[in-house]
Amino acid sequence: MTNAIEIRAVTRRFGRVKALDEVSFTVPVGSICGLLGRNGAGKTTVMSIISGQDRPTSGRVEVLGATPFEHAATLSKISYVRDNQRYPDDYRLHHVLRIAPEFAPNWSTDVASELVDGFQIPAKTPIKKFSRGQLSAVAIVLGLASRAPVTLFDEPYLGLDVSARALFYSVLLRDLATVPRTVLLSTHLIEESESLFDRVVIVDRGRVVVEEERDDARELALSLSGVADVVDRVAAGRAVLQSTRVGGLKSVIVRGPGDSDILNAAALHGVQVAPASLQDLVMAYGTHDEPATTTKEGVRA
Amino acid sequence: MLSNDIPIFQQLAAQIKDDIVAGTYADETAVPSTNEYAVFYRINPATAGKAVNLLVEQGILYKKRGVGMFVSPGAAELLLAQRRDRFTTEFLTPMLREAQTLGIGPSDLAAMIDREAVSDERH
Amino acid sequence: MSSVVPAVKLHLNKREMTFLVPLYIIGMVALISVLISLVFLRGGSVPGSEGWLTGSRNNPAFLWAFPGYLVYLGVQSIATTFPFALTLGATRRDFVAGTLLWAVLTSAYITVILAILTMIELATGHWWSGFHIFDIYILGLGDLSLLVPIVFLGSLTCLVVGGGFAASWVRWGARGPQLIATALGLVIVVGVIIVIPSAESIFASFAAWWLAVAAAVAIAISAVGAWLLLRPATVR
Repeated sequence: MTNAIEIRAVTRRFGRVKALDEVSFTVPVGSICGLLGRNGAGKTTVMSIISGQDRPTSGRVEVLGATPFEHAATLSKISYVRDNQRYPDDYRLHHVLRIAPEFAPNWSTDVASELVDGFQIPAKTPIKKFSRGQLSAVAIVLGLASRAPVTLFDEPYLGLDVSARALFYSVLLRDLATVPRTVLLSTHLIEESESLFDRVVIVDRGRVVVEEERDDARELALSLSGVADVVDRVAAGRAVLQSTRVGGLKSVIVRGPGDSDILNAAALHGVQVAPASLQDLVMAYGTHDEPATTTKEGVRA
Repeated sequence: MLSNDIPIFQQLAAQIKDDIVAGTYADETAVPSTNEYAVFYRINPATAGKAVNLLVEQGILYKKRGVGMFVSPGAAELLLAQRRDRFTTEFLTPMLREAQTLGIGPSDLAAMIDREAVSDERH
Repeated sequence: MSSVVPAVKLHLNKREMTFLVPLYIIGMVALISVLISLVFLRGGSVPGSEGWLTGSRNNPAFLWAFPGYLVYLGVQSIATTFPFALTLGATRRDFVAGTLLWAVLTSAYITVILAILTMIELATGHWWSGFHIFDIYILGLGDLSLLVPIVFLGSLTCLVVGGGFAASWVRWGARGPQLIATALGLVIVVGVIIVIPSAESIFASFAAWWLAVAAAVAIAISAVGAWLLLRPATVR
């Protein structure tokens, strides 16, 4: 078994709305995979289904080789704290720290206390009165200290400042070295997080539009910018995923690898060219008012 | 620290090579582990591993089982030789091309280099 | 790997709410009962007299004090604890089993405390002063064979019925409890319409064990209902 997470043609309807539409992707064991996409793209629904908190309307999901829904042995190997997680009435931090190890066989008290200290999570305030950042901090404590073989983070840094995020990154990478596990992480802070990923999945309106190794995703699209009509000339013949125009200047994201044709054309016309960043890709696939785009089908480089 | 234009593992590999040439890691000494690189540069451990493996393939680093990664004997020399080989294509050729565009002849250029070398030594 | 025991521990995690609040409530009821007795005492009533006994034994304070707390405890045991239990990795099956087990333990705990206090009250001749706090009608007049089923089944009913309503809320949102309350109201009204002609003979033959059977039925329906409601429930 080489895949920690396997999702095959998963559809999830809520009434008439299709939150997920034939979603398929895999996350290999040991990967740190970014799950990216705009709000409402379906990231939280996917994670709920992977963690057995929700069930697909159709399709299959396997985590470590088993269907997670109501499967005790598998559920004990998954950690997923929702971004809007509810805690029992009157809970304080110590309640969470006392009960979580009962369900998490690999729980690390050291990791938990390091994070609690680092995030300065208040001990006496009821969790109900926590700020957004403090709630995120509790979720990170649960996610990292559980040391679950499959760990899901849904927008883990909402409300966290830059030093709290740095703490998260360093403890995550350091503890992964101690106890390897598979991580699926959704975030809007793409530029800050992308170097963490070895793999990315981009979802848009309930569909997977990109599933690639991180380094291969660089080949998916190019960013061209310069004088508008020259950019258009260089971009001719490529599918334009997104374009932005300010006065006479234009930047476009076009599909496909940076082969010598387009690189030479760009150099000849003085157009700046670079591999599209993950952020560019997410924006490109999340833009739906652009003409002449074919963003609905998946892209394979 | 690390940018998007070049794949991260290539940037890290180049960084490690620079450190070896600069003498930060001498022959037969250990370089940081993949995980240390991952934590320090805040990158994926597999990406760091890719950089290290690239250097192993190139004979710059070698693995001691259960101990870690070490600088191969003569690695710094090897890297320096490679850089010397590339010096012409990476520095001289572009400089000559630019000089030609600006109308600077080879003898003017040689004089400029002498002057710069002297002023550089004074610093 | 079963998560039934962790689920029980999850419910027992709020130790003060589980173990101390019942003691606070008993303490408050005792205090109020004593104060009322003192009012009667100052009003000229004689401890041990016929009127004194009737007055003390009719004390309904426990009936006012306990169900509110127990129903709340039952509601929160599912409403806010279920989503957290799933997050921790419990299966729905183990969570429901653990919740029932916890409700039984909590009811037993309250039963044991009231039984002990009742025995002390009887052994000390009603606290050496004739005050009836536990030796009252609704607790079986000092008869443990009545007190134990009354308190245990009464507590369990409050906890499990509260949990049943909360399960409908988890499953269907705010409509859930409304739906169940409406359905329950209809069943009661229809039942009354059916039995009202023979109401007199029914009341005449009423026996206390009917209540025990009614409690057992309510517990069984709520427990099974909670399981059926939560089995496919998802967290959103």
